[in-house]
Amino acid sequence: METIIEFQNLEWKYENTKEFALKGIDLKIKEHSFVGVVGANEQGKTSLLSAICGLIPHSFNGIYRGQVLLFGKPVREMDSLELATKVGLVFSDPESQFTAMTVEEELAFGLENIGYSLSEIKERLEWAAQITMIEDLLDKSPYDISGGQKQRVAIACVLAMNPPVIMMDEPTSMIDPLGKRLIFDILRKLKEEKKHTLIVAEHNIEQLAPLADEMILMADGRIVRHEPTLDFFTNPLYLREQGILPPECTEYAQWLKDEGYLAPDVRLPLELEQAAELILPIFQKKVVK
Amino acid sequence: MNPLITVENLDFTYPDGTPALMGINLEIGEQEFIAFIGQNGSGKTTLSKCINGLFKPTAGKVIVEGLDTSRRGIIKQLVTKVGYVFQNPDHQLFNRSVKSEIAYGPRNINLPDDEVEERVREAARVAGVSEDLFDTHPYFLPKGLRQRVAIASILALKPRTIIVDEPTTGQDMQQSLEVMNFLRTLWKDEGHTIIIITHEMRIVADYAERTVVLGQGQILLDAPTRQVFAQPQILQQTYVEPPQITRLAQKVSMEEPFRSVLTVEEMKKLSKEVLS
Repeated sequence: METIIEFQNLEWKYENTKEFALKGIDLKIKEHSFVGVVGANEQGKTSLLSAICGLIPHSFNGIYRGQVLLFGKPVREMDSLELATKVGLVFSDPESQFTAMTVEEELAFGLENIGYSLSEIKERLEWAAQITMIEDLLDKSPYDISGGQKQRVAIACVLAMNPPVIMMDEPTSMIDPLGKRLIFDILRKLKEEKKHTLIVAEHNIEQLAPLADEMILMADGRIVRHEPTLDFFTNPLYLREQGILPPECTEYAQWLKDEGYLAPDVRLPLELEQAAELILPIFQKKVVK
Repeated sequence: MNPLITVENLDFTYPDGTPALMGINLEIGEQEFIAFIGQNGSGKTTLSKCINGLFKPTAGKVIVEGLDTSRRGIIKQLVTKVGYVFQNPDHQLFNRSVKSEIAYGPRNINLPDDEVEERVREAARVAGVSEDLFDTHPYFLPKGLRQRVAIASILALKPRTIIVDEPTTGQDMQQSLEVMNFLRTLWKDEGHTIIIITHEMRIVADYAERTVVLGQGQILLDAPTRQVFAQPQILQQTYVEPPQITRLAQKVSMEEPFRSVLTVEEMKKLSKEVLS
């Protein structure tokens, strides 16, 4: 697959902070991959996403060195219209992006701004509403619905624009377990469609890990690890030091390997069903169900 | 021993007619660490607000250290019995300096100045808010510290019971551990009863001794945390899943001790015993 996002030694410092928020970032992201971004708060996750969608440097003052290429073109030289058609970003606080009186108007806002035809707007709107499961909310005020529903509307707004790159910055951090599950269901559907490149920053590693093809760990403004997801979780102790907990199943399976209960070449599970398949045979003879 | 808080046949209906709580019975004792869990809308926050007297029962009663919360004018006494820390500290911080923020509660209940001063220092010390920050505007502090200031302002009223609404939402692992270990200190060393409202089942498994599961305005389960997570079918009714390792252990066997494994460490220990 082709590289569509490329950081070349990017350095970024916000106007009013002492330290650089991004330091020496080199990164390539391939088309249609699903990239998970993790790390403690204030380590550069949001800045990394902002540098891809152009919020950095276009909406902030600061020092910008190096460059980011989006589909081969420097983000710094792209205008907001061009950026909006290439990449969409969903924030952790959905209300921060609402402006309209109804969910439907909210969804149409970006599309009208770009000047799509009515039939095209309608078609995109229907697709976005369907995949985010908000069809029955279209007439409601975006302020009048639950937190989880708001976040799905925010995602639908971005999907309606149908940008090839979709990014989410901690999309589930403010919502309840059922709401979280629905957001990850949307991400799963998008991944299965294989039409978008997905970049998601999350603390909820248990649900992120099974979806992500690769993981990026940020610490102190740098990318300290960037690996295929399975490799990423093979050193849980290191991750723990960086404030990252692997999925419990993965951590436990790694221990079973270390103790010799599982073969050394066995693939680590990243979610519950895989883990169960792997460990049930070991216990079968020992435990009466 | 008398319970600190008794909830008897409590119903609560919002003014618009929406029933939020039905037939709640609950006793909360001294020095307990309790988690309220359940999906949004299950009644966790409403129940908490009935306990701290912000909401008056529609039917039934809530008795806090001998005080009936539905009595008129009781709130000034209640704030010294039950403290409530908001999910977002910014919803409760409104003073211009850390010191006046912490002093607000004690001043409001008309304590003399020297007592206010003493309580502010003591609360700040326990909450880990340095006196060097007393003149700082709370908004300029990082979130973790703002939360501590919010907790200090509650501690200054010396409530035995402290309710903390989603203490770890939006926080990373390090920040979550810090606030949870701090709450554990308040519980273990300072003798407070702590009630957390949370969606993080790992946090519940690691910290809460007792868990109350709410669903559709009713208590579905009220038991030691270990026993609660051993009932996945009931938890499902309110869209709660036990920690991942608990679910994995339950796939191995629904018999004890697998049924009630709470942590990866426990699962490792158990595996060693069974497999070797």
